[in-house]
Amino acid sequence: MSTLDLIGVSKSFGRTEVLKTIDISLASGEFLVLLGASGCGKSTIMNIIAGLLSPTSGEIRIDGKRINEVHPKNRDIAMVFQSYALYPNLTVERNIGFGLEMRGVPKTERQAAVLKVARILKIDGMLGRKPAELSGGQRQRVAIGRALVREPKIFLFDEPLSNLDAKLRMEMRAELKRLHRLLGTTVVYVTHDQIEAMTLATRIAVMRDGRIDQIGTPEEIYDRPATAFVAEFVGAPPMNMINAILDANGLRLEESGQRVALTIGADAPREVILGLRPEDLHLADASEEHAIAATVDFAEPTGPTLIVFARHGGNPLVASLPPHLQIAPDSQIRLTFSRKNMHIFDRASGNRIQT
Amino acid sequence: MERQNLGFTIFLYVCAALLALMILAPFAWLFIMSISSTNDLVSKPLRWWPVETDWSRYRILTDFTPNSHGAALMSALGNSIKIAAIATVAALMVSVPAGWAVSRTPAVGWSLWLVIGTYMLPPVALAVPLYMGLAGLGMLNTKIGLAIVYLTVLAPFTTWLLKSGFDPIPRDLEKAAAIDGARLDQMLRIIILPLAAPVIGTAALFAYLLAWDEFFYALLFTSDYRAKTVTVAIADLAGGRVADYGLIATAGVIAALPPVIFGLVMQRMLISGLTTGGVKG
Repeated sequence: MSTLDLIGVSKSFGRTEVLKTIDISLASGEFLVLLGASGCGKSTIMNIIAGLLSPTSGEIRIDGKRINEVHPKNRDIAMVFQSYALYPNLTVERNIGFGLEMRGVPKTERQAAVLKVARILKIDGMLGRKPAELSGGQRQRVAIGRALVREPKIFLFDEPLSNLDAKLRMEMRAELKRLHRLLGTTVVYVTHDQIEAMTLATRIAVMRDGRIDQIGTPEEIYDRPATAFVAEFVGAPPMNMINAILDANGLRLEESGQRVALTIGADAPREVILGLRPEDLHLADASEEHAIAATVDFAEPTGPTLIVFARHGGNPLVASLPPHLQIAPDSQIRLTFSRKNMHIFDRASGNRIQT
Repeated sequence: MERQNLGFTIFLYVCAALLALMILAPFAWLFIMSISSTNDLVSKPLRWWPVETDWSRYRILTDFTPNSHGAALMSALGNSIKIAAIATVAALMVSVPAGWAVSRTPAVGWSLWLVIGTYMLPPVALAVPLYMGLAGLGMLNTKIGLAIVYLTVLAPFTTWLLKSGFDPIPRDLEKAAAIDGARLDQMLRIIILPLAAPVIGTAALFAYLLAWDEFFYALLFTSDYRAKTVTVAIADLAGGRVADYGLIATAGVIAALPPVIFGLVMQRMLISGLTTGGVKG
């Protein structure tokens, strides 16, 4: 149980600035997910926390103590790698116990600790095997076991589930959540999968180009995205982004000239983006006033919902509608939404405009 | 492939047979020569199979009475085994750390290319400086002296081979070991070197064979039974007024045995694919 602080951390490789002034402060027992596309710097943060890389500037603190100069093995951190990084020539038992072995824990004590962790992860039946004799999911469990057994202050997970198939990924996700509740250890978790981020995190940091666009609870990230990038990155199918002009009377959609009355306005007309989540769009009654007219391209039944792909002028528009609706291609539909579900972003900066 | 037509299968077997023939034919001819009588070997047209087999030369060369051909060959065999072994062990001691370092630090890769560049020099260009160096150290005609010279030939080759062997071992393993608290020596001993064992075995085998087969430096830097190697000893057999080709061939067969035995032993180490399973699925 420990706190973790990153204060003004930056990292450059030669002239390439990979991280630009990162500030994160984690309370004890938090589950932070670093979310972003590949190359955004999230793995660099992880390696800096682990001590595998040194930051160019800034400070890392665990429990308030600066650890910049501390060797990885003395940071009391455990890391689970995307590649699992199991030692192929050692048995599962020795793989899990390796950290204890290196720290000189007596053999009997080590065996007991390994067995306890193996039971939690349900791999106690395969302690004598080599990693090559395990399935992908089992290897993942061994990798997690190797981290668990040391009872570290902080866990680092670097895209741990991305090599698993969809079903296994879901199982392991639930398992990780259960483990976090059981142990209450502080976790930093890197992923590009927004579902993993939403389901696991107590807080999400959405990253882009070496900086954090927004850091907040999953609800904050989803309901009040701070930038257009965050809005599009989180949510599936992604949020619809419609170009519009904000003026004194409200919004005017650029493609159709359609107006949406708003209480806020701008004195001078301002170029904005109107963001609407597919699940916030509903079929409009004929009487409904503020609705967007669209032409249907096609519809995909997914089971619980019907995803309708349509066009509003040249703008693609995706709506997630109740199943069993009969919507034919090329038909005209009108989609309505509630004002509270509108997200408006400045088009130049991408920043959210408070509504 | 299950659906392969007959013609292609035959083609594959013909290719394999040709390869085997090319590799084995010289050795087969060496063996035939060693058991042919001198008459058969000098007759025209050449007799491909002796009229009657003659094993007498094996008896000559395994007769160890002092100052005989057999004693000279045996002491040379002993020298060769020792020199090749010393040179191989020394080469591995140098090139295992060097290969690992170059593999993990691409920035110093140029140094390896520089070293390999010296390979392009013909041995004769280095002969004089090496001779003067050895003479200065008083190491001419010593086993250690020749082994040191061989080390300069073997180390670049084994370093390069080992670097390619370390390259596919994932660096994540080293990071994981570092976080697990392993010291550098523990990480190498417990994780990395066992994974590189097949390629280390290959390097040892090739280094040993290179040292075993070397003739030029051995001829220049050794002069008598104290350090003379088997390649030089065989050449000595041809040095008289009348060369007994059969005797030379017999010595060749005997000289081939130690590396063959060494190769068979090392073969057990050359199992590849040990790294599978540690990373990814």
